[in-house]
Parts: sequence; structure tokens; C-alpha cells
Amino acid sequence: MYLLKKRHLSRRTFLRGAVAGSTVALAVPILEAMLNSNGDAFANGSELPRRMITWFFGNGVALANTDDAGSLMWAPPETGANYPLTPQLAPLSDVRDYCNLVTKLKLFAKHPEVRGHHTGVSGYFSGYPYIKLDPMGANYSSKFGGPSIDQAAAAFVGSETFLPSVQLRVSKRIVTSEGPTLEFISHKGPDQPLPPIHNPQELFNKLFLGFVPPDDPTKPQRLTALDAVREDVLRLQQKVGANDKQRLQAHLASVEQVQKQIDAIAPLCEPPAMPGETNTDMEGKEPLEPVSSVMAELLALAFSCDITRVASIQFTGSVGYTVFHMLGQNKGHHDMTHEAADNAGVDASTIKMMECFAYLLRQLRDTSEGDGNLLDQSVVLLGSDCASGLYHTDYDLPCIVAGRGGGTLKYPGVHYRSNDENASDMLLACLKAVAPEATSVGGDNGYSETPLSGILA
Amino acid sequence: MAHTLTRSPLGLGLLACLFAVGCYSGADQDTATFTSASTGASAATDMTDGSETSAPTEGDSETGDEPPAEFEPASPSLRRLLARHYVNSVRDLLGPGAAAVVTPPDDTKLNGFDAIGSAQLAVSDAAVEAYEVSARAAAAEAMAGNIAQIEAYLAGCTPQAPDDQNCHGQFIQNFGLRAFRRPLEPAEQATYLEVAQTTALEGGDFFVGVEYTIAAMLQSPNFLYQVELGVPDPDDANVRRLNGYEMATRLSYFLRDTTPDPALLDAAAEGVLDTEQGVRSTAQAILAGGQTRTALSNFYSEILHLDELSSLPKDPGTYPLWSPQLAESMRRETLALIEDVIWQQDGDIRWILDTPFTFVDATLAEFYGIPHPSGGVFTEAFLKVPQLPEHKRGGIFGQGAFLALFAHISSTSPTHRGKFVRETVLCQPIPAPPPDVATDLPPAGAENPTARDRLEKHMNDEVCSTCHVLMDPIGFGLENYDGIGSFRTMENGVEINTVSEVTPYGEFDGALELGQRLRDAPGVSLCMVRKLFRHATGHVETVGEMPTLRDLDDGFVADGLRMQQLLVDLVASQTFRSVGPVEP
Repeated sequence: MYLLKKRHLSRRTFLRGAVAGSTVALAVPILEAMLNSNGDAFANGSELPRRMITWFFGNGVALANTDDAGSLMWAPPETGANYPLTPQLAPLSDVRDYCNLVTKLKLFAKHPEVRGHHTGVSGYFSGYPYIKLDPMGANYSSKFGGPSIDQAAAAFVGSETFLPSVQLRVSKRIVTSEGPTLEFISHKGPDQPLPPIHNPQELFNKLFLGFVPPDDPTKPQRLTALDAVREDVLRLQQKVGANDKQRLQAHLASVEQVQKQIDAIAPLCEPPAMPGETNTDMEGKEPLEPVSSVMAELLALAFSCDITRVASIQFTGSVGYTVFHMLGQNKGHHDMTHEAADNAGVDASTIKMMECFAYLLRQLRDTSEGDGNLLDQSVVLLGSDCASGLYHTDYDLPCIVAGRGGGTLKYPGVHYRSNDENASDMLLACLKAVAPEATSVGGDNGYSETPLSGILA
Repeated sequence: MAHTLTRSPLGLGLLACLFAVGCYSGADQDTATFTSASTGASAATDMTDGSETSAPTEGDSETGDEPPAEFEPASPSLRRLLARHYVNSVRDLLGPGAAAVVTPPDDTKLNGFDAIGSAQLAVSDAAVEAYEVSARAAAAEAMAGNIAQIEAYLAGCTPQAPDDQNCHGQFIQNFGLRAFRRPLEPAEQATYLEVAQTTALEGGDFFVGVEYTIAAMLQSPNFLYQVELGVPDPDDANVRRLNGYEMATRLSYFLRDTTPDPALLDAAAEGVLDTEQGVRSTAQAILAGGQTRTALSNFYSEILHLDELSSLPKDPGTYPLWSPQLAESMRRETLALIEDVIWQQDGDIRWILDTPFTFVDATLAEFYGIPHPSGGVFTEAFLKVPQLPEHKRGGIFGQGAFLALFAHISSTSPTHRGKFVRETVLCQPIPAPPPDVATDLPPAGAENPTARDRLEKHMNDEVCSTCHVLMDPIGFGLENYDGIGSFRTMENGVEINTVSEVTPYGEFDGALELGQRLRDAPGVSLCMVRKLFRHATGHVETVGEMPTLRDLDDGFVADGLRMQQLLVDLVASQTFRSVGPVEP
């Protein structure tokens, strides 16, 4: 337990109310009578909601031998269930059964110009190669080639909840000069990056205080104003070029989403107390662990109340310069990964990050739902932009697919050593865990319609 | 000013060779088209715009024998207001109280510019939510504040009923003109009348209708985006001329960082902005108004990354002197120098590269060890002082802001400093490191006591050196300044060798001499024009726009590289006053 005062949350079910022409899920405390006799679904047969989290850290992991780009210390040689945990994975000891460790995936989604970090983050998290953006020799930038996997999931399940998805950031030491690929990990499409929230109090407000009371007198007036905005967007769409039409279409969709949120009815979940943490540096030091923990707690509560089902967490940035000061370090993480002499420091930072990742998994596991817990109903995908920052390698990127995905993923989790399979196959397995009706992910050379069988239940 | 271009072992021939092996990623499709149409020289070489010539000044163009390329402006793109544009516009429409309560979404950079991100990216749900919250807060604040401001938009109309159609109509027409920066179309007038009447009746108050009309208009795409569609040019199918209102908007956000004032909208209505001369005289009047100073400083803050100083992390163990106060003083120092050259002196902008003066407050005077010129005491005010000659400082490269920003958390980074000079001052792009190559350096220690020792060994690696040879030596010449810009002569007990070179412009030692070498480097002035154009128009210049930018650069150089004149010439140019056809 970190900074939040946790309240007991009852199991609950969903009612559906007609709102602004669509439906919004309302969470109310569940009554045992609403569940079937096994407690794993509702009595009417509808399934418990599935959730997805993507969890990103930048710059890869340490090497066993800094002269050998392939010698990651990350995974053990043993495969299958009950795989032994390396020191980097040791923090996962009490959630290992929920973790499918996947190695030797090959990134198929690659722009022919392989560019350290850019290639990995777009290819791994979206299944699309990055799009190069450096006309006329302008400082090079890139953007994602397609929607990131969390947004692919939100496209299926986002309309069921108050917020289609949320984006979180722990470390603020992010590179902003090379375009959206490095700055953000959630992208609705190439031209629609989704900036994250780094302040837990702001996240709290967004998740729990965004509801407008049903009798608020300003409600109809706000909706009327937004109706006028919609008319203006539609009129302007008639005048502009193809790209701008698409951008305005996104604007229109967001206006409609905001209208839906204004009209939504608050869940009967009791909101938690406002966290004290604001992600403010003290003497230049980032509060990485407290922020990460309180965000994990808030997210578990939000899932439990069914306020959202999709989240992304950018723990550190691609090329980010996070300092793991709690380990006695005084260099930025990206710089350290590019120095063989700092390999041990990179190793230590990976272990620290796995502790934070494990905390999130435990929060989900320890929040009950039906006859199980949230982690049973979730898929949590961990990844990075390089295997090792030292070589900018994009083969065998660190990959953990955690959670049972509503029973679709292997449990107990295994170490699955892939035979150079397409990394997008893994993405599709994750997507289908949330949206069984999904048939493909990615695009161009990263396209896949074959989910990674090695981790499927 | 006479000068010679120092030839060195890493001279022009080698530079061309480096480009040929592909260090410059600039040799992509766009550039290749551009260059093959010009000299037929290697694409990358042409990218540097003049580095293939030994002509000492950029004014003397090597491009005289090119076939004149046809002017083809880029297709228009909706440009979402930058966060500061949004806040300033709300201030101008509804007063400072309203501006204080808005929280527009953050800007996102593309190719180094917020303006380019704002012209390409789409909004998120969270952004639209922020606009909704901000618009309501601003409207409520305006209604609660100075009501005379609201009444001015009513133009004397006194409401007789909550849904007084005449007065709501007046308000919509007058406020709409300011908010949308053009007169409303009849359909728009009807839409907002509906908003006003409906909400006024719901609230039982005429002014509730006004409040929600304001809230709605501030969320409209016609307020949130600069819409630049133009009208057909009768003489040229490739060109659409911005109409008067579009010009007023483009001029105002570029030169004043805010929405057009009523006088500028009047000028638009009267057709003043339809002619080059009208735009020129309007721009001169805007410059005389004084708001361009801050707007242009925001441009320099962006290209020099000055806004990152406030959160720039430095290791307290390595740099105990580093503090938010010091960082803020450094930010202000750099802007003070730039503003002095541009506005006080109206001088050659290249002084920012090599002037032997700087501006210090008490914090910086102590940091640099600069004595008070008249023996007095420094205060919080910035004072122009000569640099200490023994520290070899001059221009922005000798200032703490640049030196601290382009460094690591606990050390310098000759590579980052050099990369900045190549990319931002010379417009010479450096590509990403190749994949599957070890990026590390030999460890620090007795064998390699200085950063230069380590990097020079690294440069023996053929794959790395092709690009690093362009960057690292620039930083070697600045190694007398540590990771926050303090002067030093020793590193790990060894005297630092700071004699280096900026290929192919000559040898140098220290910031002042680096600036002196760069001042006359071909392409420096055109690079400034290009960066300013990207910020002003929200896109990277296209092949079809380069001829006009070259013309602008010729005029800039002939006129003594005075930024004030460049601003006027830029906005009066056909490339600023037009867009291409709307994409199908």
C-alpha cells in the first residue's frame, strides 16, 4: 500500500443507460445474485470485462557480455512453465505464474531505414513501421505508422466505458525533439499521438472527478455548445483537403466523446481519497517509485469500477534521460545504456523497473472480481524500444505478456522461446485477449493475422 | 568584412566525401528532387546550401546558373493555435482574467517546431476536453468580470428579454468577427443564435445565452485553427492567395503571438492586406507596436531549446552550483543578447554568434566571475558587460544556456554541442546512428583522462567517425566549459586541449572563435531564413518554395542581416502570402 487510502470495493455489475444516442457502462456494486453460479460471468451469460495495459521502458536491458549484442541477461535459458527467474526478473517471483515471458521474437514491422529506438518503439507497440519525417533535411523526426496496440484495443472496447483509454507517464525525462514516436507510446493513428498524464492527482481527477452530476443545470447548455461546435466542424470539413478532413474527423469524434462523458452517470463505486503525490521533483530527483505505485493503485480502482479498460504506461522514455537516483546513479538512463562501462548500472535499473512492474501486477491480482481477480481479466504487455541500447538491436526485444486475458493466455505462464516469429503475432495474441473478434494487427511488413500460439491457453 | 576560409586536412573535399558515404540523411527523396533540378551536385552537398563553394559570403550565390524553379507553395493545412496563441487570444477577446483561467493542451513538436506539429497532428479526446473546460471557464470569468467588455460586443443593444434575438445577433456578429478573425457566414450566425437563444431560455437570462455563445465559439474549429484556404490566383493555377482576413491572422500570430486586433481586421476588410505594399507597411506598423519582440524571442527559445532549462536535470554532486535560479538567469541572458542585437541595435544577427559582450545579473556575474564594469554591485537587472578574454567566450556558444542544455546530466557532451551547431546553425542534418553498432566509448581513466581522448578513439571507428567527425570536434573546442558552462582548464587532472576545428570553416579555440568561424560560413543566413519560415508557416519549406527563400536570403544579406527587415520582407513575400491548391 502506498499513498492511497484504499476503500473496500464490492464486486459490481453493469447497467447500460442510453446516453447521447449511445450507451455508457455504469458500474454499480454487484449483487451475488447477478453472477452465475460459478462467479465467472454474469447470470445473463455476458462476460466480465477484459482490460489491456501496455507498459513501456526505454533503451533496452543490460548485456551479459558487452562485446556480444545477443547476450541479454534478461531471460533464463530454460523454457516452459516454472521457468527460473534471472536477477532482472526476480521481482516477478510472486506473480510469475501470470507472466508469459517471450523471447526471440523478430520485428517484422521495420522501415528500411533502421533507426535506433524509432524502429523498435513503433514496430513493437503498433506492428507498423515508423513513418519517416525529415523533409528537406529538417531535424529528423518520425511518427508511428499506425495505431498502437492499446488504441487498437480501445477501438474495440473503449466505447463501453466512461473513458475509452488513459495514458500515463512516470518519468518526465522525455525526448521531445525527434517526433511523436519517441515522445509518446499511445497513438490513435500516425497523426494522433495521445499525450499522457504524469501527475497522479490529475489522473485521479480524470478518473474519478470527471463526472457531471445528473441534475447539474449547466449540463444541457454544455451539450448545446458542443452541438454548435460539431456543426462548425462539419462545415469546415467541406472546405479543406484530405488530410485536414481526417484531422477534423478525429476532432469531431473527440467532441462526441466529450459530450458522452458530460452525459455519463457516475459509477456507484466509492471514489478513493485524492492521492498526495503530484510527481514533483525534490532537489532534481524524480519520485519514480511513489508515482508508479500510486498510478498502479488508481488504475486498479479504475478497472474495478469499469471507468476504463485500456491504459498505457510510459515508465521511462525512448532515449529518455531518467536518473535512477535511488540506486546511487547520476547519469541519464539513455546515456548509461550507450556505455559498456555502465552495464551494471543498466542492469540495476532494469531490476528496479521490474519491481515497479511487479507492483502493478500485484495490484491487479489483489483486486478481486467475480471468482477471480483483475489480472485474470487483463493482458499487461511489457516492452522496450531496443534489446540493448548499447547496440540499438531490435531483435529479441524484452517482452512479457502478463495476465490471463480472460483465460485466453497460458496459465501458469511460460517462457516461450519463439523461432523468430513476427513480433506482431504477439500483439495479436494480446489484442484477441481483449477483443476476441479481432482478426489482424499491424500493417505493411508488420501485418499479422496469426496470434502467437506459444502463449495461447 | 574580409576574412579567409581556413583550409584544413578536413577540408571541403573530405566533407563532400563524407556526404557521399551517407552521413547526411538529408539526401532523401525531397532533397534529391530539389538538388537534381539545380546543380546536379551531390544532393547532400547542396543541402548545406553553399558548403560546396568556397565563396566567402552566402550572398554570393553559387546557384546563378540554375534554371529558375517555378514557385509552388505548399498545400494549406489547418494550424491549431499554439498554447500561447490560445491564451493570448482569450486575453485579447475577454481580458486577462479570462486568460488566467484557461489551460489549453500542450504543443507537440514535429521537426523541432510546435508550429509544424500543430499543422499536422490531430487533437486527442483530452485536448478537446481541455478546450471545453477552458472555454467555459473563460466565458464564466468574462461574465463575472468587466461587463463593459461584453457590452462592447453588444454595440449598444439593450436586451428586452432573455431571448432577445436582435441583441444576441449583435453579440454573435461582433464577438464572432473577433473570435473567428473574419465575419461569420449566415449559417454560422444561425448556429450560434440557436445556442444563445436555447441556453438563455434554459437559464432564464439573456447573459447566460451570451456566456454559452462565448463558450461555444471558443471551442469552434474556426477559433482553434488558423484556416488558410486562399483564393485562386488568376495568373497561376499553382497558387492561391491568402485573403485579407487569412493574412491578418497569419501576420498577427507570427508577429504578435496573438489574434488580430480590430484595426488589423479593418485593414483586412479594406483590402490593405491584398497587396505586397500594404502588407509591408502593416508589418512595419506591427513591429513599431513592440509585441514582435516577445513573439520573436519565443521563436529563438524554441530553436535554442531555452524552455527546457527550467526542468533541465543536472547531477547535484557533479554540479552543486546548478539551481533553477541559475537556469532561469541563463535563459534570460541568451534572450537579452538576442533582443539587444535585433531590437536595440537593429544590427547584424550574426553578432549573436560572436559578440564579445553578454548580459548578466548578480547570479550570472558571480557564476562567470565577471566584475562589475564600474565597480558597482550587480542586482537582479541584466547589465551588458564584456566577456573575460581569458575565458574565450563570445556569442550564444559562450553562454551557460547553450553549454548546459547541450550536455549530459553529469558531464559535457561534445557530440550534442556539435550536433546543435550543424543542425540549427548550419541546417546540416545528422542522421541517426546505424543499427547494431556498439555505441560506447573507451572507459574514462588514466589512459583516456578527457572526454576528447575518449571520443577521439571512438572516432577511429570508421562507421561512427563519418558522422562524428562533423560533430565532436566542434565540441572539443568548447571543452573549457563544463556541463553547466563553468570555465575550466583541467579535466581529471589533465590540461584540456581545446584547439579544434569546425570543418571546413577553420580552426578555433573556445566559443568566441567558434562564432567567428561560423559567422561567415556559407549557408548560415539561409539557414536562419529557413528556420524562421518553418516557424512562421507551420511547415518545412518545399522545393517549390526554396527559390523565394533564396531571394529572401539574398536580400537579407545585402541588407546587413537585420532581422527586423527580414521579418518585413518575409511576410511581404509571395511565399508568406499564398498557399498551394487544396489537396483533393
